[in-house]
Amino acid sequence: MTSVARRSGPARHAGAEAYPGPTQPSRPGSSRRPEARPAPVRPQNRPARVGPRGLLAVIIVGGAVVVALWWHSTPGASGLGGWLTGAGEVLGLLCGYGVVVLVALMSRLPPLERGLGTDQLARWHAMGGRYIVSLVVAHGLLIVWGYAVEAHTGVVSETATLLTQYPDVLMATVAGFLLLGIGIVSMRAARRRVRYETWYYLHLYTYLAIALAFSHQFADGAAFISNLAARFWWSAMYLTVLVLVLWYRVVVPLRSFRRHRLVVLGVKAEAPGVISIYIGGRRLEELDAEPGQFFRWRFLTRSLWWSSHPFSLSAAPGSDRLRITVKNLGDHSQALARLQPGTRVFAEGPYGAFTPADSGRGVLLLAGGVGITPLRAIFATLPGRVTLIYRASSERDIVFRNELDSIAAARGATVHYLVGSRAKIGGDPLSPRVLRSLVPGIDQQEAYVCGPAGMTSAAVRALRAAGVPRQRIHFESFEF
Amino acid sequence: MRRVILAVTGTVAGLVALLSFKSHVPSVPVSAAGGSGGSSSSSTSSSSSSGGQTQTVPGEFPQGSVAKNLPAGETAVDGNVANTAYGPVQIQLIERSSKIVKVAVLVQPANTLHDIQIGAFAFPKLIGETLAAQNGKIDAVSGATYTSAGYIQSLQSALDKRA
Repeated sequence: MTSVARRSGPARHAGAEAYPGPTQPSRPGSSRRPEARPAPVRPQNRPARVGPRGLLAVIIVGGAVVVALWWHSTPGASGLGGWLTGAGEVLGLLCGYGVVVLVALMSRLPPLERGLGTDQLARWHAMGGRYIVSLVVAHGLLIVWGYAVEAHTGVVSETATLLTQYPDVLMATVAGFLLLGIGIVSMRAARRRVRYETWYYLHLYTYLAIALAFSHQFADGAAFISNLAARFWWSAMYLTVLVLVLWYRVVVPLRSFRRHRLVVLGVKAEAPGVISIYIGGRRLEELDAEPGQFFRWRFLTRSLWWSSHPFSLSAAPGSDRLRITVKNLGDHSQALARLQPGTRVFAEGPYGAFTPADSGRGVLLLAGGVGITPLRAIFATLPGRVTLIYRASSERDIVFRNELDSIAAARGATVHYLVGSRAKIGGDPLSPRVLRSLVPGIDQQEAYVCGPAGMTSAAVRALRAAGVPRQRIHFESFEF
Repeated sequence: MRRVILAVTGTVAGLVALLSFKSHVPSVPVSAAGGSGGSSSSSTSSSSSSGGQTQTVPGEFPQGSVAKNLPAGETAVDGNVANTAYGPVQIQLIERSSKIVKVAVLVQPANTLHDIQIGAFAFPKLIGETLAAQNGKIDAVSGATYTSAGYIQSLQSALDKRA
């Protein structure tokens, strides 16, 4: 299911949000009320974005060009050996292309981040990664087998010949095993058997693998060996993605760190295990952050600086401060509660495509637990008729109750709190029947869902059953 | 699971389609590069002589011209360069009293080590067949269709020069 359909529309930054301040005044001079200043002027058109279909089309066209390159360079494939070698060559080329696509998906390219969303990009990356790693393995096996058949030698001796005599094949083999290992660890990470940080830093070895595998493509690949133009464009493709990665993952965050000078203003407890962190900075309007988006945050303390975590903005971004709200889920988020005002913050972003535009329809926001955070920001700023349904397991777990009520009163919107465990309420509160009764004309609305994975999928099913078409249900998963 | 099956079948089907188009090349195109002659002989099914003459060791065959230091009574004839899709092939015949006693490979496809590996298997076989048949009517080596076609064409041009 697509998580976010793209649309163009007027800027949704209808006005400045009444920005809640931290309860602990953090610095002298920070007690100014930010909402008193005028709203930053926003450009009327939203930043450029590429949707899933557009991106898929580009990837497929690229793949077709790669196959055409093989077709052009291969005189013919005859006999078993010819077929095996031919298949191995096609797969090898597709791998060389595929790793570039996989890296590009993760390059934090803004049009992709805003168009598909980080969660969808990560899903594509994971899916594509499994596919490409399988192709890498198949490429190796087919080439060994095919070459052995064509040279009339055994598979074992051909393997030895390939490793010892073919230029750079040994390096490429190391790269192949690296990719295989990273693929296996990632699948385990997806099942939560590996720590996020382990997975993250291991993933950096993919760059090494790609570098190791690069030279054997030109040294042994029949498609490149006598084709200077192919070598040129292939290198250009690798170089482009390398530049994109360096630019958007390193240079832009560093520049933004210097320019915006983010610091922790204060930490506020919102509910048991839920805290809000207020972050101040300069010229934040230049970030073009939209409600519903998130940043990857790195708090520069001795124990936290080395890990970065994605947290959504829980209030519309102001020009001098941001707020995030974090549920205590592990060591890291526990340490966040002890952040001192003045701590410098390194933030990458904004990312995410969970950014509704005014579609002219009514909008239903459906929050589960701490999934309220991006919806809280959207609720305050999205123009039009908005209904918020907030599912929480107990009264105590509701965060932002006062804020939500006052926003609702100010803009004439409705908030429904669905509180209590299923057993207590007697059935699933997010049933199609309940949804229809809470939101009249629900089938004519756009729906945005954010919450834990189980709640999200249940809510999406209920919305479908309540008559909301699939393309108008948008959700973001936090699992990337 | 459905996605996995889809990806595997899609990939395999795509590869099979691609390769089957590639293997339907009507005839092996070989163009003569070196001047005259080059009456390309199609390797018809004549000699089944490969049985008797395959004691050659794969990978070991005369490479480069041997014309300089020939024993008395032997003469060398260079074939034309035959261009194959994988690169040019040129051979040199050594004969003594109208009998082919040796074939040397002057030029062979060597773009990749794989080409050389295929040549290392194919040329000794082709040379063995030539010595046995004493003419250009020899079989192509399976797995080295293009190299064989180039070899046979260059061989035929050398035989034509001799005649």
